[in-house]
Amino acid sequence: MQRLMGIETEYGIMVEGLGANDWVSESIALVKCHPGAGVSGWNYRGEDARRDMRGFTVQNLSTNPDDAQFDRPSAPVMSREEERSDRVLANGARLYNDHGHPEYATPECLSLRDLVAQDKAGERIMLASARKRAEARGLAVSLTKNNTDFHGASYGTHENYLMSRSVPTDLLIQALLPFFATRALYAGAGKCGVENEAGRRNPNTFQLSQRADFLSVEASVDTLHNRPLVNTRDEPHAAPTRYRRLHVICGDANMSEHACALKVGTTSLVLRLLEAGLQPSIRLVNPVQSARTVSRDLTFKEPLERVGGPAVTAIEVQRTYLDEAVRRFQGEDEETDWVLAGWTSVLDELGSDYTTLSDRLDWAAKYQLLDGFRRDENLAWGDLAMQSLDLAYHDIDPDQSLYYGLEQAGQMRRFVTDARVGAAVSCPPADTRAALRGLFVQRYGAAVRRIGWNGIAFEFQGEDLLFDMNTLVEANLAEYVGEMVGAGDLEQVVAVIRRTRAADEAGEKLTGFGEDGPTALGEKE
Amino acid sequence: MTQAIRVEERRQVPGGPIEPTRKPGDGDGPAAPKVDRPDTSDLLKRMKRVDPDAARRYRQRSGE
Repeated sequence: MQRLMGIETEYGIMVEGLGANDWVSESIALVKCHPGAGVSGWNYRGEDARRDMRGFTVQNLSTNPDDAQFDRPSAPVMSREEERSDRVLANGARLYNDHGHPEYATPECLSLRDLVAQDKAGERIMLASARKRAEARGLAVSLTKNNTDFHGASYGTHENYLMSRSVPTDLLIQALLPFFATRALYAGAGKCGVENEAGRRNPNTFQLSQRADFLSVEASVDTLHNRPLVNTRDEPHAAPTRYRRLHVICGDANMSEHACALKVGTTSLVLRLLEAGLQPSIRLVNPVQSARTVSRDLTFKEPLERVGGPAVTAIEVQRTYLDEAVRRFQGEDEETDWVLAGWTSVLDELGSDYTTLSDRLDWAAKYQLLDGFRRDENLAWGDLAMQSLDLAYHDIDPDQSLYYGLEQAGQMRRFVTDARVGAAVSCPPADTRAALRGLFVQRYGAAVRRIGWNGIAFEFQGEDLLFDMNTLVEANLAEYVGEMVGAGDLEQVVAVIRRTRAADEAGEKLTGFGEDGPTALGEKE
Repeated sequence: MTQAIRVEERRQVPGGPIEPTRKPGDGDGPAAPKVDRPDTSDLLKRMKRVDPDAARRYRQRSGE
């Protein structure tokens, strides 16, 4: 896709005999049980989640008041570093505790296949950590890759897309609202019942989306409470004058590789349309309500009220983006064509027989699997037993998971091979700056003082250096990575960085690397 | 410095599922889970094994 992309997933955690007031300490312990190589000391340089891309910084982010019931008054006060317990892994990923959830953030990827493989590798890394923790604790530990506890608490699966900062913020928001409000047609993970709604009209509904019940505003910097369809956090993790990182929080965690690839691929293409100057042709009167309507409509024909025109269906909204993307991008490369073909066939099949989609979309697979059981057992969609099966679909243990039961029975289409996922557990993508992060973890971990998305601070010959990676985001870095990997030791690595910087300053843009080379730590922070 | 790094052994190739040159489970990190391949009747058994009360106990803190 030739865009830097990543996925962060907060997993649900359960430990036999324990409760939600234990999840912070248990998540920290689980992260520390990670069995592979890793380096601690996250580099928070340039991070401020309160900064809004609309040009202001909020005083505080909203938090969910319900969480106070889970706070132990006797809990030890921890520093941010202790609470997060970050580990940067050999594949360039980040593993840490986030608000009582073990979280895995993939390394930056340029291709969909790399990204899906890295997302699936995250499940294996989490599972191995959970098994090690279970062994140490003597208690069963399970992890769920979903977004709801069915008691009103939600946790996120966030997508990240590096994009040009030239797209005006208001245009970005207006163009994404109809797209995100309807994307659950193929990106939704499916959900039994309804939550977080006073006076539920029909709790016994099967929904396309896990997350729609938890979206309450159109655009906001908040993520923990009062969640928006379009998150406006302004943390580029790259040169801030040139790039924006679109942080998407309205999506679901996908078990299906195909659905995950389609979700990210379509969104990346929509961003390309905006970068090319496209003006959105549809505005919905109430995008947030529309997202809920779409999530609860298995006819796919519910009209969505539109500004300045007749009502439209979710399929029609999606087709406006698809048609433009086909017109502009078809034939560019194989992954783009895969996305366009998959997007087209999904919208076509939703209009005829959606049961054919159960081999590739999570919601359709879950619906098909659970509906027969529900009928045989005379259960309603909102029953606890159905929600228990829903949770089991998202269990990441292949011996227990209903999703993996389907996959092992050959009923789910694959997008990557097991071998590719296995390789991604310890290998970063070879063509992004994640490979440089992985290089430092694998070879020079003892020298690393701080490590993050956009920089690595390390000690070399008694001096503190910062390898600034803010500009290493645009080009395919395979050649540069090859040179760094070929360096025999840290001295040669530093020499490569210094030489590249000098070449860039002389006007030879070799890698897009040039604004900051290694320098005394502190000068650039 | 002789320690190996494996990033150069995988390259992005668009198209269908691709076999990387590395074998799964090589080197650091956990290996692929080894599971038997059930047929659909195994799937039904798996569903029947799910504790119908599991969702009542499943409580989480709010995340992002």
